Amino acid sequence: MGGLLELEALTRRYGSVTALDGLSFSVPAGQVVGFLGPNGAGKTTTMRAVFGLTDLDAGRVKWNGSTVGQAERRRFGYMPEERGLYPAMLVGEQLEYLGRLHSMSAHDAAAATKTWLERLGVADRATSKVEALSHGNQQRVQLAAALIHGPELLILDEPLAGLDPTGIDAIGDVLVEQARAGCCVLFSSHQLDQVEDLCESVTIIDHGRLVVAGSVDDLETSGPRRLVVRVEGNRDASWACGLAGVTVSEVDGGAARLVLDESVDSDLVLRAAIGAGRVTEFVFERRRLSEVFREALA
Amino acid sequence: MNGRVILVVLAVLFALRLLLRRRRRSTRSQPWTPKGLSLLKGDVGLVAAREVRERIRGKVFRVGTLLILAVVAAAIVIPVLNSGKSGPQRVGVVGALPASLRAALVASATSIGATVHLVPEANLEAAHGDLRSGRVDLAIVGSRELIVDKPIGSADTSTTAQLVLAVSRNLGLAEAVGSAGLSAAQVSELADAKALPVTSLQPGTAKGATQTTSTVGLILVFMMLTQYNTWILIGVMEEKSSRVVEVLLAAMRPVQLLAGKVLGIGLVAFAQAALIVAFALGLAEAVGSDLLRGTAPLVLVSTLVWLVLGYAFYCWVYAAAGSMAERQDQVQSLAVPLSLPIIFGYVMALIAASSGSPSAFFKVLAYLPPTAPFAMPVLVGLRAVSWWEFAASVAVSIVCTVGMARLASNVYRRAILRTGRRVQLREILNRSAG
Repeated sequence: MGGLLELEALTRRYGSVTALDGLSFSVPAGQVVGFLGPNGAGKTTTMRAVFGLTDLDAGRVKWNGSTVGQAERRRFGYMPEERGLYPAMLVGEQLEYLGRLHSMSAHDAAAATKTWLERLGVADRATSKVEALSHGNQQRVQLAAALIHGPELLILDEPLAGLDPTGIDAIGDVLVEQARAGCCVLFSSHQLDQVEDLCESVTIIDHGRLVVAGSVDDLETSGPRRLVVRVEGNRDASWACGLAGVTVSEVDGGAARLVLDESVDSDLVLRAAIGAGRVTEFVFERRRLSEVFREALA
Repeated sequence: MNGRVILVVLAVLFALRLLLRRRRRSTRSQPWTPKGLSLLKGDVGLVAAREVRERIRGKVFRVGTLLILAVVAAAIVIPVLNSGKSGPQRVGVVGALPASLRAALVASATSIGATVHLVPEANLEAAHGDLRSGRVDLAIVGSRELIVDKPIGSADTSTTAQLVLAVSRNLGLAEAVGSAGLSAAQVSELADAKALPVTSLQPGTAKGATQTTSTVGLILVFMMLTQYNTWILIGVMEEKSSRVVEVLLAAMRPVQLLAGKVLGIGLVAFAQAALIVAFALGLAEAVGSDLLRGTAPLVLVSTLVWLVLGYAFYCWVYAAAGSMAERQDQVQSLAVPLSLPIIFGYVMALIAASSGSPSAFFKVLAYLPPTAPFAMPVLVGLRAVSWWEFAASVAVSIVCTVGMARLASNVYRRAILRTGRRVQLREILNRSAG
């Protein structure tokens, strides 16, 4: 397995509304990539464009360097935002049917159905109708539907929405496992804590344009350095106020959050803190993904 | 005869019930795929096989099929039971019945293919009681009067009515012969009189039977076109509203999904129609019904042909309409205008079948694809159409169906993924043109 999804200058307009505005980014194999953006940013339109479910005004979708066609799409797995299953069809039959539509033999589809239902903990619901399942179990079946044929690329629109922690863990584990096996995994979510836990990299879009893309590590450590310093007996961080190139962004319970200019030597800050009293905390702080997200969209 | 009929009906219904139960049980372990569907290859075949499996499994289909078979059985068997009610007619006799009158009574019964059983009645009151309770069919009082429970109308063709008329006529004649003072030889010669054979210049057409077959065929086509096209309409809408269509179209082209759907539902429709026709033929043969005589078999074949053609024409229209809707209320507002040509064709055909003389306007309807499935089988039953006219109408229907399929596929492709509100046909067509 392995491959590279490339989106090149995707443009889609609905009347006067531009959903995608020359959007370009790529998804490498072996990583779980979080696809973020505010509501209406164009995430769902982008995902649908990969599967040819929306007509593009311009741009193209490439898989391993070639424009994506029907044959390639059969090797992709898709989980739409609003679940897409026949409500009155039996779970097992539905998965086998979808497997066969992705070119699997009847035997292989049946075997894969059994495997995935067991792996996702819903093996006992194979003969139930989808509509009889709880939301969480429907979500698991929907994920199984996307995975049944062993896709090379997995695209999931809000797969964690409405799940309890157990469900999030179960689905998150599968996504990471798929990425480790060499699959390209792209999923959208508004739950940034989960994205932070699951993803190696993220792509943030807004108004149909790329805003930020990169590894979670790089994004969280990029920008001005941030220090949390706690000095015994000095709860208002007055010791830091006069330091050149240092901004006190927040004082919370005696801990001062400082933002350092690029030119500032952190040793000077430490010495100033020691001069003010006994230093009980001196930590470089990473930005949370939620902060990266907010700053990117500011 | 009655026992044979009941046995045949029960055997068929029981066999069908067993078959359906076996299929239902088999679905619990693994998907049941109807035999022959494995011949349908590729995505279209997979979609069609799913449709067939899901539809046949549905309670609506099973109960509906049994109901239709029951109605067909009743339509065939009841007339046979009525006409073939050849059990002895029970005749109450008040007072003595002379041998000559008894002979005239037996001769009357024989002339209509019935037998009589005489029941002596103690008096007039006893005869009235037996008539009211149905223990006797008619009573002869003092050789001079006939009494029945209910008046016999001129349109009554039952065995009892025929017997009463024959007995009334023959007893009157016997009395007249007796009072004329004829010799025994003359009386005997008169008694042996036989009706002259009547020869017609034109062959018999079993018009009544053909008319009934035409009407039953019309009802069948109307019911099936309405039911199966509604399945398509709702099925397409449900795929859209449940968003399963996004998952499906991520793996196949819209035209493949659409073709598989109409093919699958069409196969179910045709299989059900074939089952009903085979059941009707078998049952009619078993009970000796005359419903399939004359041009009736031709009407049946024509009905099946036009059922296929009618479905082929309408299925695309309904599929395109379904792709524009997302909710049940939207479907209903679409279904009403779509059903108007079907209802119009059906009503016009019923009128023409019952009148027996189709108008020029009706003949025009037989060449228009929306109404031809109803009009053409009626014309066939009335022998009002030649083979080439039939073929021309089939050709027109096929050409229009191809055009409709293209247009509908285009509408379906553009509308099926547009969600949020009902898609207007104008937007789709404008976009197509653009």
